[in-house]
Amino acid sequence: MILAGGRVDELGVLTHYRPKSAVPFGGFARVIDFPLSNLLHSGIERIAILSQYRSYSLINHIGTGAAWDMIGRNRGISILPPFKDYENPHWYRGSADAVYQNLDYIRYYGPSVILILSGDHIYQMDYREMIRYHNEHDVDLTAAFIEVPLESASRFGVAEIAVGDSDGGRMLSYEEKPASPKSKWASLTVFCFRPSVLSEVLKKNQEDHSYEFGRDIIPMMMRENYKVHGYKFRGYWGYTKTIDEYWQTSMDLLGPEPKIDMEAWGIRTNLAHRSIADRQPIKIGADGNIQNSMAYNGCIIEGTVRNSILFPGVHVMAGAEINDSILFFDNIVHQGVRLNRVVSDVNTVFNKDVRVGAPQCDKLNRVSVIGWNNSIPEGFSIGCGCTVAPRIPAEKWPERHLEDGEELK
Amino acid sequence: MREGGDALVLLLAGGIGSRLNLLVGHRAKPAVPFGGIYRIIDFSLSNVMNSGLTRVGVLTQYKPLSLMAHIGNGEAWDFTGRTRGIKILPPRTGEQDSDWYKGTADAIRQNIDFILANPSEQVVILSGDHIYHMDFDAMLSYHQYKKADITIGMMVVPKRDIHQFGAGIVNTENRIIDWEEKPAVPRTNLASMGIYVFDTKYLLRTLGHDRREADFGMHILPRAINEDRVYAYPFYGYWRDVGTIQAYWETNMDIIRENSGISPEKWGIRPNPECGHRSMDRAPANFQTGCQVTSSMISSGCIIEGTVINSVLSPGVRVKKGAVVTNSVLFDDTLIEENAVVDLAICDKGVHIGTGTVVGYGENMILPNKKFPKHLYTGISLIGKEATIPAGVRIGRNCIVNFGYNDDTFNGQSFLADGESA
Repeated sequence: MILAGGRVDELGVLTHYRPKSAVPFGGFARVIDFPLSNLLHSGIERIAILSQYRSYSLINHIGTGAAWDMIGRNRGISILPPFKDYENPHWYRGSADAVYQNLDYIRYYGPSVILILSGDHIYQMDYREMIRYHNEHDVDLTAAFIEVPLESASRFGVAEIAVGDSDGGRMLSYEEKPASPKSKWASLTVFCFRPSVLSEVLKKNQEDHSYEFGRDIIPMMMRENYKVHGYKFRGYWGYTKTIDEYWQTSMDLLGPEPKIDMEAWGIRTNLAHRSIADRQPIKIGADGNIQNSMAYNGCIIEGTVRNSILFPGVHVMAGAEINDSILFFDNIVHQGVRLNRVVSDVNTVFNKDVRVGAPQCDKLNRVSVIGWNNSIPEGFSIGCGCTVAPRIPAEKWPERHLEDGEELK
Repeated sequence: MREGGDALVLLLAGGIGSRLNLLVGHRAKPAVPFGGIYRIIDFSLSNVMNSGLTRVGVLTQYKPLSLMAHIGNGEAWDFTGRTRGIKILPPRTGEQDSDWYKGTADAIRQNIDFILANPSEQVVILSGDHIYHMDFDAMLSYHQYKKADITIGMMVVPKRDIHQFGAGIVNTENRIIDWEEKPAVPRTNLASMGIYVFDTKYLLRTLGHDRREADFGMHILPRAINEDRVYAYPFYGYWRDVGTIQAYWETNMDIIRENSGISPEKWGIRPNPECGHRSMDRAPANFQTGCQVTSSMISSGCIIEGTVINSVLSPGVRVKKGAVVTNSVLFDDTLIEENAVVDLAICDKGVHIGTGTVVGYGENMILPNKKFPKHLYTGISLIGKEATIPAGVRIGRNCIVNFGYNDDTFNGQSFLADGESA
């Protein structure tokens, strides 16, 4: 069961019209392609996606599931949207409620193990190893954790894990986003449940007023002495909770030995979505210059591109210069444009001589983000750490520039 | 929206295309990779799709496996559906004939049952060998407007080239009044593109006329022009027969040249992303610090550390540090090791060029290949599929290295002279 409903406020304009799991990542893919490809390579072939927020982009992206080989007699991806019925008058009230409302889906297939994942993270994991651990230790719940710096642990679910074997051990304590974390082990939101226990605890949780796996279910199971283990994951894990983190994680794609190696990880995406498969190879012009960057078919590069990621259909015209930026599908960058640390959503046009960001900037959050379907007027200048909402009408663009950190709605 | 009705399409994809030499060693000519991610036949199939036609028969004969795998169920060109479809039509043993296709008309004649099983007003007959963009729906409307029995797609070519084509002489209404197949002395510059629209009833009648009439250009058309309504449909766009190594190379280069008139994406040309090594599942192309890439086409999955100028790279090509690739066409997963130099070469899939090796050494472009002087004579060298060339070797101009070549010592030599083959 993939939890793909959330929109994550901090990602702002990138999630105005799509859930976070459908946010483009890696030059041609979407965030959810990472867990889906992991499932493919783990041989797990019956998948449900719980989706609530602006589902269209996600539904469109999943398609038939053929991209991940999830179509066949015994294989399939189902999207489970929220519903109302005789007993249940409300939307998904949280991750645990979403799974609770679909318990009959689980019952129908009668699995021996249920894996619950977040659709929001960039990582490579063979779930079979975790399931093997779960089965060997005969556990009610195994949750995966990764070691993070102590100072950032308070943003995650944090567990103390008993010294067991090298793969994990009994969970001694669990706190959701604690002010002063007791350990460095942060939850990946990858849970492996014994089905009978899952349905038991979800039913119990219905009496409550909050319905989240991290905040409610795990603490409840700890209180009631279920057998809960922490599984130690030691691979790469990229989180993208804020624009600056999204940018930072994207930069892990670049360099001679990238931390995120999509080729080696076998990342697949739906090639029909945004017609990726119909794009011709990247065309590089006589004056094109591209360094330490990634680009996919359909790009035309006539200007200069450094340390950047270009999704299909991005056109960089001669005399434009792009540094440290991520441009989603079909951005058009005209002559004389200078971009520094920009994340720009789909279909945005940077008209002649537009400036966004600055090569040097002392702000802490210095990435500027541009919402989709914008046409930034000729010569307009945007500082660093700025936010531009999607589809700003031509008359709404201010006369003057945008100061560092300013927001245009 | 279709104006000209749902004609049946028959695509002739059986030609050997032997002048493409090693490139057709393992595959039929229509299946030869082109333009980074395409195969030659994608242009015809996409034109059919974009014309709104939905029923296609592909007549194969020579080394069809690669072609069949590429076409698959036709989903890439939207040929799947209850009333849509693409069928491979190989030669078969019949009650009376157990013959291979003897020519274009003979191939169609042997598939009359397919034509009858797919009722249509018109049949469009195409070749799978050409790089072009054309609207067959407009051609069908033209055919119907002219009340023609046969309409032939024709274009103006330089008079010196007319000897390679069927040539038609037209009156002021574009009715063809005289026909010459591959004339030595040109009387016209209007050449047949091998694209025909036939009224279905007329086609069945004329094929039944004489079973010895094996070829459209040689037999069927000259007779039809005397007796029936045959019209020329003039075509003014980009069209190339890529039947020779030189034409194949030039047409690839046209894709990277500005304003050459060829533009696969704008034309709506679709490759089959599910075929072979599923090239589009590869990660975006990766351009490392210090690389230099200009005037080139680069496909997904390429990793470029060195220099690439004026070249077309298929998916998964790797150009390592210090290597220089110029004026070349490299198929999928070619590996160019450090400091190697590749100029004016076509490398088939999986070729491995060793460290410091030079392909295209020296400036003697005019000494033709000794074995195949008519195939390689302009300086282009050809490296066959999965050939491995060891480090430190120099390969000259108009050379051929056979597919699968794998001799660590390079036959005890450190060079392959101009025009030689290995």
